[in-house]
Amino acid sequence: MYTIELFDVITTAAVLYIVALGLLIVYGVLKIINLAHGAFLALGSYAAVIATWLGWNPWSALIIALAVGVAVGAVAEWRVLRRLYVRPLDTILATWGLNIIVVQGITLYFGREIHFAESAITQAVNIGGVTYSLYRLVLLVVAVALGMLVWLVMRRTQIGIVARAVIMNEELAQVLGINTRLVRFVTFCLGAGLASLAGALITPLVSVHPNLGVPWLINAFMLVLVAGVSIGNLALAALFLGGAQVLVSAYGNPVLGSLTIVILAVIILRFRTITI
Amino acid sequence: MPKVYWIQSLLMLAFVMLVASPAQTQEKKPVVVAIPVGLSGVNSVVAPAVVQSAELAADELNAKGGILGRPVKVVPLDDESGPAGAVKAFNTGIRQDKADAIITMETSAARNAGAPIAERAKVPFIYTSFYEGRACGESLFVNAWVPEQVVPPLIKFMTDDKNIKRWFAVGSDYAFGRGMIEAAKKTIKDMGGTIVGEEYQPLQQSDWTAIISKIRAASPDGIIYSTSGGGPNIDFLKQLKAAGINIPIGSLSIDELTAEAGGNAAEGVYYTGDYFTGIDNPENKRFLEAMKKKFGSELKTPNALSEQEYDGVHAYAMAVEKARTTDANAVLQALPTVVFEGPRGSVQMNKQHHAPLPIYLAQVQADGKTKVLKDFGLIDPGDQCPKLK
Repeated sequence: MYTIELFDVITTAAVLYIVALGLLIVYGVLKIINLAHGAFLALGSYAAVIATWLGWNPWSALIIALAVGVAVGAVAEWRVLRRLYVRPLDTILATWGLNIIVVQGITLYFGREIHFAESAITQAVNIGGVTYSLYRLVLLVVAVALGMLVWLVMRRTQIGIVARAVIMNEELAQVLGINTRLVRFVTFCLGAGLASLAGALITPLVSVHPNLGVPWLINAFMLVLVAGVSIGNLALAALFLGGAQVLVSAYGNPVLGSLTIVILAVIILRFRTITI
Repeated sequence: MPKVYWIQSLLMLAFVMLVASPAQTQEKKPVVVAIPVGLSGVNSVVAPAVVQSAELAADELNAKGGILGRPVKVVPLDDESGPAGAVKAFNTGIRQDKADAIITMETSAARNAGAPIAERAKVPFIYTSFYEGRACGESLFVNAWVPEQVVPPLIKFMTDDKNIKRWFAVGSDYAFGRGMIEAAKKTIKDMGGTIVGEEYQPLQQSDWTAIISKIRAASPDGIIYSTSGGGPNIDFLKQLKAAGINIPIGSLSIDELTAEAGGNAAEGVYYTGDYFTGIDNPENKRFLEAMKKKFGSELKTPNALSEQEYDGVHAYAMAVEKARTTDANAVLQALPTVVFEGPRGSVQMNKQHHAPLPIYLAQVQADGKTKVLKDFGLIDPGDQCPKLK
């Protein structure tokens, strides 16, 4: 009966989760909101366009996207952000500037018109008595896998312990001899790579143009504000806010639905203070 | 003796100038056509094609000796795709470049800002973009479609040939999207069809999940939709296809370039318009050849927003030739009387400053290319400006 609604809720949450993950990681460790997140999403989508041009398998776009995201992220951190960590407000300006540079760079090369990227999966499947988009279900699996992976890295590896130490108390971590500079660098690269990967992952759902990241950035930003620095909280926030958006759109209308995430985020933040 | 040489050469120079200068004043002042167009902003994808259309028309006119023996000069100006830029561009075109006419494709907001300026300065203004209709002015002429011309033929075709009785209407939540859906609903009701669902999506939202689920729940015979131009068409169609919904779709917002950029996303979609590159007539083939020859690899594919510019410049030239002057009053008198046989067919702006247009039905193929299926013949724009003749 409500199978479609259920699928809509969980797959929308999965997409939001995938898109917000990179932003959350950067926010958690570096304590900056990476406003270039939308541009990295766009980079990932254009990686899919390039894979199509080269005639490669559509899945290869994911690898190209990850590589491009990490590379651009590395240069940005190394040349720009590294100098600004002591001035957190300026990082907002710097990452927004980075956003403009990347988006304009894409525009210069590809133009403003939309581009075509081959999708790996376009068919629908019969599941639970309804016909549903197979790709959205695949994204659900990807979201869970990415979540598990990041969780495992944070909990079970040396890198994760170091990263968590930096998240909890950076000065103390530094005193203990942790190279926080390297941690920041690696985290930003990872965040940028994940954002770019997310861009490639959402490409089969949307049209590719230079500003495609902007609406996603806004939703991801809201989710991260609500979730704080916890991966688990992010999943909950995506499920709750994304679910509310789907249900309000379905039973009310999409215009109200698009406001849901923002309004709920504001209400939640009213009662729950974020401590960095 | 160097000094003598110096004086000689000075005399020589003076002589040359004396001979040359009358020739310069004899050369006729060009007829200036200003094109305020969105070289930056949302229209920047299509604007270069518009300018190229005008340049080709100007070349053709100049090759035949210009207008009234005067060369034609086109001046592209950036209206920044919006009203503020349009005001600047119209003022620059009229005051600085001394435009004899303004012929352009713009956003509705830019047109609404620019038209009064052209009106006050008494400069003929031919608007070459399809739009929501009912823009009127003594010096404003329109040579592209209004909803009354493209919506009813599409709905009628889908009702009669595809047997669609129960419709689902989807629009982007903005004036043009809602206006097109209103026009579609009216025709659907006139044809005896029912609307089983109607939904609007906010402009920035690219996830159509909720609307697609509603479409599925309503199980209509067909879909009629109008998003904003470009990307949103593909967002919607991609997700619709992935959801496994396979019913006839009529689009009021897709265009050839978007359909092609979308690959197979738009496969099977029906749409109507006054210009397609695939229109099968000699004049269109000649036009496309000439564009290719003139611009080569720089060519921006002519499209349903740019071809009308070519028609507009030619129609203006015919009106000036007929009036034997560029004087605005005489040209405005002559404009509704001239018929330009162009790539679209014959176009005459004789219906309250609007034009009955040849309308075609097209369908997007599996490779994203558009195929023209049917020619509806001339379709009347209806009462757009009852106060004008």
